[in-house]
Amino acid sequence: MEEAGALTARELWNPSPELPPRVSQLRDEYVDIAGRDHFRNEIMPFTTGTEWDTVWSPCLWGVVPDLFPFHKAFMESLPMMATKVDLPGDFWDKPLVVRAAIFFSEVVRNYLPVQILEGELIVGGHFNVALSRAQNRKEARSWRRATMKWMKEMDFLNSHGMGNAGATPGHLIPDYPRALELGFKGLVEYFRGLGEKAESRQQKEMLEALVICCEGARDLIRRYASEARRLAGECGDEERAGELLEMARICDKVSWEPPETFHEALQALWFVHMLVMVQESYPGPGLSPGRIDQYLYRYFIGDIESGRLDRQRARELLDCFWIKPNYAYDFMYKVGRTRGITSGYGQLITIGGHGAEGEDTSNELTWLILDVIEEMNLLEPKPNVRLHNGTPPELMKRVAGMIAGAQGAPFLLNFDEASEAALRWQGLPEEDIWDYAPVGCLENTLQGNDRSGTVDVNVNLAKAVELTLFDGKDQATGDRCGPRTGDPCRFGSWDDFKRAFETQLEAMLKRFMEVYDLSDSIRSRFEPTPYLSALVKGCAESGRDVTNAGPEHNFVTVEGVAFATAADSLSAVRKLVYEDGAVTMDELIQAIEDNFEGHEKLRQTLLNRAPKYGNDDDYADDVARYLSRFWTEEVFRHRTSTGRRYRGGYLSWNYWIAYAPSTAATPDGRRRGTYLSNGLCPVAGADRSGPTAVALSLGKLGLESAPNGDSHTISFNPSLLRGEERVDKLAAYLRGYGEKGGTALQVNVIDPETLNEAQRHPSDYTNLLVRVTGYNAYFVMLGREIQNEIIARESHEL
Amino acid sequence: MSCSEPEGRGGDPQQTGVVFNIQRFSIEDGPGIRTTVFMKGCPMRCVWCHNPEGIAFERQLMWFDVRCIGARDCLEACPNGALELGRSGMTIDRERCDACGRCADACPARALELVGKDYTPHEAFQEVYRDEAFYRNSGGGVTVSGGEPSMQPRFVAELLRLSKEAGLHTALDTCGFASGTVLEKLLESADMVLLDLKHMDPAKHLELTGVELEPVLENARMVSSSGRPVWVRTPVVPGCTDSAENIASIGRFIAEELPSVERWDLLAFNNTCGSKYSRLDMTWELEGVPLLSAEAMEALAEKARAAGVPEVCWSGTTRSS
Repeated sequence: MEEAGALTARELWNPSPELPPRVSQLRDEYVDIAGRDHFRNEIMPFTTGTEWDTVWSPCLWGVVPDLFPFHKAFMESLPMMATKVDLPGDFWDKPLVVRAAIFFSEVVRNYLPVQILEGELIVGGHFNVALSRAQNRKEARSWRRATMKWMKEMDFLNSHGMGNAGATPGHLIPDYPRALELGFKGLVEYFRGLGEKAESRQQKEMLEALVICCEGARDLIRRYASEARRLAGECGDEERAGELLEMARICDKVSWEPPETFHEALQALWFVHMLVMVQESYPGPGLSPGRIDQYLYRYFIGDIESGRLDRQRARELLDCFWIKPNYAYDFMYKVGRTRGITSGYGQLITIGGHGAEGEDTSNELTWLILDVIEEMNLLEPKPNVRLHNGTPPELMKRVAGMIAGAQGAPFLLNFDEASEAALRWQGLPEEDIWDYAPVGCLENTLQGNDRSGTVDVNVNLAKAVELTLFDGKDQATGDRCGPRTGDPCRFGSWDDFKRAFETQLEAMLKRFMEVYDLSDSIRSRFEPTPYLSALVKGCAESGRDVTNAGPEHNFVTVEGVAFATAADSLSAVRKLVYEDGAVTMDELIQAIEDNFEGHEKLRQTLLNRAPKYGNDDDYADDVARYLSRFWTEEVFRHRTSTGRRYRGGYLSWNYWIAYAPSTAATPDGRRRGTYLSNGLCPVAGADRSGPTAVALSLGKLGLESAPNGDSHTISFNPSLLRGEERVDKLAAYLRGYGEKGGTALQVNVIDPETLNEAQRHPSDYTNLLVRVTGYNAYFVMLGREIQNEIIARESHEL
Repeated sequence: MSCSEPEGRGGDPQQTGVVFNIQRFSIEDGPGIRTTVFMKGCPMRCVWCHNPEGIAFERQLMWFDVRCIGARDCLEACPNGALELGRSGMTIDRERCDACGRCADACPARALELVGKDYTPHEAFQEVYRDEAFYRNSGGGVTVSGGEPSMQPRFVAELLRLSKEAGLHTALDTCGFASGTVLEKLLESADMVLLDLKHMDPAKHLELTGVELEPVLENARMVSSSGRPVWVRTPVVPGCTDSAENIASIGRFIAEELPSVERWDLLAFNNTCGSKYSRLDMTWELEGVPLLSAEAMEALAEKARAAGVPEVCWSGTTRSS
């Protein structure tokens, strides 16, 4: 072991020097966006050319409050900058879903630029667009009215630190295995077959739209085939010309027929996936490919066994595939991609896990993908490993070793037993649960048939504590945000306080469900996405778009923000005010109004004399459990007007920072402005009993009632993870976590010295990846505040 | 309990122990993930001791300057007037302080802490048992350390017994300077032993640790002959125990006389404990002593391996060359 000290940039986790030259070059090309004048995947708007056209929809960005000030400008400017698309003469006679399909198809068929980069083996470049919603005048008027209403309410909730909500794109796993199995041809045959039997007009229109989308996709892919052929003709290098001709053959084939080889399957998968981002006009938001080591395995092993492919070439193909999803980030090139946490998308892939009988399903492709993750060191696609009690020791050790060796471990670890228990509680069919996978950051869903709106509603639980203390008013502004529950100084007991808190929280949840419902109905009525519907089981069959509860499973996830801050606040009130009498409600409220200025003794008492969640302390954990069960069970009783059921989860994205200034000081001793707690992590610095205790605290919450899953990040100091023995202990810790802890864990292995050094010399540390709140980010591209928070995080010594 | 006759040296459920720390997720004290129970009180006085709060058997008060907010509640709470908060910080009159802990209870900021807490064996066991899942998955368990655990034999025997009965792997971490009969008794419920061997020269041993070498060696032989797996641990302290000769002779002793030793850990000296000494009004004699280099540790480990010990590991903080 070495003396703790900053790692030099050279010692960081870099792309492997062993990368094939072509991959190295493609990777460098991607990273160097400024020098990439020949190709940038920047946002391209397309319009129908009507004066009322909708190209930008604020609802879809409702959970990105940073964008609120810009919506009106985008709504006006994007149609002005947009390319007008030539549309067939009878366009306006068609129903909306068909118009949306035609518009999508015309854009990809005739307008989307087609470009193949030097050396690449997987093609498909431009996909960041803003598509017209193809609304007629009347629809646009209704859309606008509803959108303005939603924005007003949303603005109030957001500016008062209560949370946010909006019908967000992506965050699902399309049925890619089926698309690969059938090809667009097979999908179209299936839709036509359904069309012959369809009785309702709605379903007939939907099926017509699905066919149109598939045909548009086909024509785009054929343009790539032509381009590859053209380049081959111009290419002086015989070997490359041969590759281009092979790629042309592959594109021609997968434009309609199903793929048969590994190369064909990867190429088809990328096209199918990339076009969802085109359709939703949104760059890779939790649009997740799911268990790729499972459904790509048959192509891989077929090629290997027949001798068509060697492992090295398979790896090179995967490397080439790996770069593509990263081009989503070009979206932000001009909008400022160093502006904090928004540098995270979340095209999450899943490997490992088990099968229907509980058998381990890791295979040779799983291991190959681990190698690729390690050697590429890129943000996307985000890797997740499903761990279960039958995960083989070698795989466990490989994963633990990668975490221990990586600066800013790039993994989400998902624990099957806890995740599945929660999906079972949610009522998903037992025979499908084993095949679940997470989307986005860590949100558990089924694959191919499930839209669970996993980040669509975000509620600041700590705000409900504030509203309880101030009779429903926001402390800073005095604005009424919740019902009148009375002056807490008159509450006689913990039960009185608890009842008032429940009233406030229920009212908040109700309000959020209402504002969400508004956005959900806007999207379902006016913004269909038929291309995506073609890829999600249930839509064709029900005749309903994916935005309109078409999938077989439809949920909306309410994510609890600031959980530990709220739980510790309740513990402090219960213990110090109502049990010990060490603090009076009067002085507590005064201190909070003064933001603890002049009340340091009281603040220290709150910090040190109240039990804190995260220490395996039964008192604090009981209160935390009560809080978790209370609100998650409450939301599960409600549905949207489209029929989607609400479910709970814990992911705080960047809201634990964003709502810090708009949340008053809290009874756990936190001052206004200090960050709220993140995901299910304990309050920073409150966990003093080590990583086993933290895991046990999470495990006591009864997390099955939060089936989305929970974000938990833990940090270890790298100097303490060196050596094989330590890696084994980390692997054992992960097994124990799987047995006793939560559903998902992210591990940061980084020492504060290195982070400080990276802050001072960002240009030397451009490759430093850290896990932020459910996803990876390059440390030097994060906002300063988040950087500081990561440095301040308690490092558990392993 | 069927037997009403108290066993002279056996475990006693009623016997409280003075514990100065229960460290969960301990990965330095034996195999796997463990919880280490640190018993207060030690017969040795090693100059390099990095747990000075474990030396005295009595409870002691510590003051943390960084936590103090100057609330002064402690001053009023002290019934003996043992505290004085001046410009240069807190002065604890150790003659007057009887470690009652009232000041620590009164402090809102945890700036005063009482080192040493009474546990019944069952209470300590309950704390230890919490991490059972992590022991099971890692081949870990509980380690009773110190201080010197054999100085509180009735508590320790009972804690080990309860742990073992619950299926936990148990380790006894001893400095070796103890009554042989007491150690034998503790071994009954210990699955393995972590044993310190510090210096093989009797005069040096006496000088550096304050106690005779021979009882340590005698106990080492006894522990080994009991058949329990033993991990020997040697603190490598510059100018004290770090000579090649010392390492070689410990190695010879292990190879020739301790057949049940499975592993030998060389623990590089660390100098981070100075603040603990000052909080206890004790003097840290090794202030400013530089860390060893990784090369030096590796060379000593080579020496140790050459002596014929099956597995030699070294760990700890080293200076960059």
